[in-house]
Amino acid sequence: MSSSTAMTAMNLRFQKDSLCMQDPRQNLAVEIDALHKWYGAFHVLKGIDLRVAHGSRIVICGPSGSGKSTLIRCLNGLEAYRQGTIMLDGTRLGEDAVQTALARRQTGMVFQNFNLFPHLSVLANCTLALRRVAGMARTEAEALAHHYLEKVRIPEQAHKYPAQLSGGQQQRVAIARALCMSPRLMLFDEPTSALDPEMIREVLDVMTELAHDGMTMICVTHEMGFAREVADEVVFMDQGSIVEQAVPATFFSAPSHPRARNFLSTLLH
Amino acid sequence: MGFDLDFALASVPAILGAIGMTLLVAVTSCFGAAALGFCLEIVRRRGGFVGLGVRFLIDFIRATPVLVWLYCLYFILPFYGVRLSALTVGIAGLSLYYSGYLAEVFKAGIDAIAKGQQEAARALGISRLDTVVFVIAPQMLRNIAAPMGNYFVSILKATPYLAVLAVPEMLGAAFDIASDTYRYAEPLTVAGIIFLALALAISQGVKWLEKRLAVSTVR
Repeated sequence: MSSSTAMTAMNLRFQKDSLCMQDPRQNLAVEIDALHKWYGAFHVLKGIDLRVAHGSRIVICGPSGSGKSTLIRCLNGLEAYRQGTIMLDGTRLGEDAVQTALARRQTGMVFQNFNLFPHLSVLANCTLALRRVAGMARTEAEALAHHYLEKVRIPEQAHKYPAQLSGGQQQRVAIARALCMSPRLMLFDEPTSALDPEMIREVLDVMTELAHDGMTMICVTHEMGFAREVADEVVFMDQGSIVEQAVPATFFSAPSHPRARNFLSTLLH
Repeated sequence: MGFDLDFALASVPAILGAIGMTLLVAVTSCFGAAALGFCLEIVRRRGGFVGLGVRFLIDFIRATPVLVWLYCLYFILPFYGVRLSALTVGIAGLSLYYSGYLAEVFKAGIDAIAKGQQEAARALGISRLDTVVFVIAPQMLRNIAAPMGNYFVSILKATPYLAVLAVPEMLGAAFDIASDTYRYAEPLTVAGIIFLALALAISQGVKWLEKRLAVSTVR
């Protein structure tokens, strides 16, 4: 009797699990429709449409002022938008505060200027949200933080303060801090732009590894080598619109839009 | 009748006897003023109608003499059925008065924190309150330890105002001796020296705190 009850419970759980596993495949990781945003009178985003499947890597590039940072900042609610919709894994962002908060918790963000908390050690930077948001116990949170610090290859710096680390190390801590919350989508806002040239590689290596692990990633970056190697799709933005969207091979060898060609030639020379 | 050192020394125990009251008022008022000032500043930053009201309140507090606050709380509140002890009124009055000044200090300390800090906290899903407590407040304290310490010294030096409410603090004790014996120089000098010692102790404490906080934020 009891064993059959247990079996039923297990079956139920199995069914429920498989249902849960199916859901994300039906939903896209990100679905942006006709997104508009203004800063005062300035029209920053002019009708952006973008679809990102789970597990895919999108690189967004374009000249400064093209709206690429604004776009990914809209994706986790750091910027409000005026018109259009953003769906994160089937949840509409901004419609209901609780749902939005949940959807945002599944999104990790890495900033150009790292934005580590300077008064907290590397370890405490990683565990703050785990303890305060996920409600994890200290030891558990620290174990998880160590796991991700190892993943970004700086476990030995766990007890240092951010200011004691190099820029590349700080950015890797920032990546580990975001990963700790087990995001399903990682947003990178020019993660290497504030770094000295010799430190760019170590950050890109970590990002590449993350991509190979199957993380869904949207990266605003001018690192075209990274785009060529890792991206499934390159999105080129100019003056608030997506001008060209193509697989890297096409984008780099035969960009169709003159502005994209122009942009690529300025990067190369 | 010159300065009588023996009389001065003899008056020390009685004056020191009131140091407890002075410290109680000073320390509680420091905490009260800091807590209230921080809340005022946080609400002011939120802006909107309430923020505007708080902005006015802070300016109003700073533009009125502390004695007015003490008299108001002590003599006017009872008309509305609120009867507070002299000690409570003293602590409340000093807390309220200095909260206005500390709010300004906190403002400078928060303004100096990079905008990215709040964004990072938001991106991690950390609540507004937790962001204030764990991200903003600790960094603000590092920025303003010295000016905040100055106001703590000011609060200590404002405790004799409580004499108007007959709270038995240190200067009051010294004055009691003076009026009993008609010798003013000795007890008042002794009280002054004790105030000086306490103020120096506070500023040393703030220096130590600054050093300790600096260790955790190597720049």
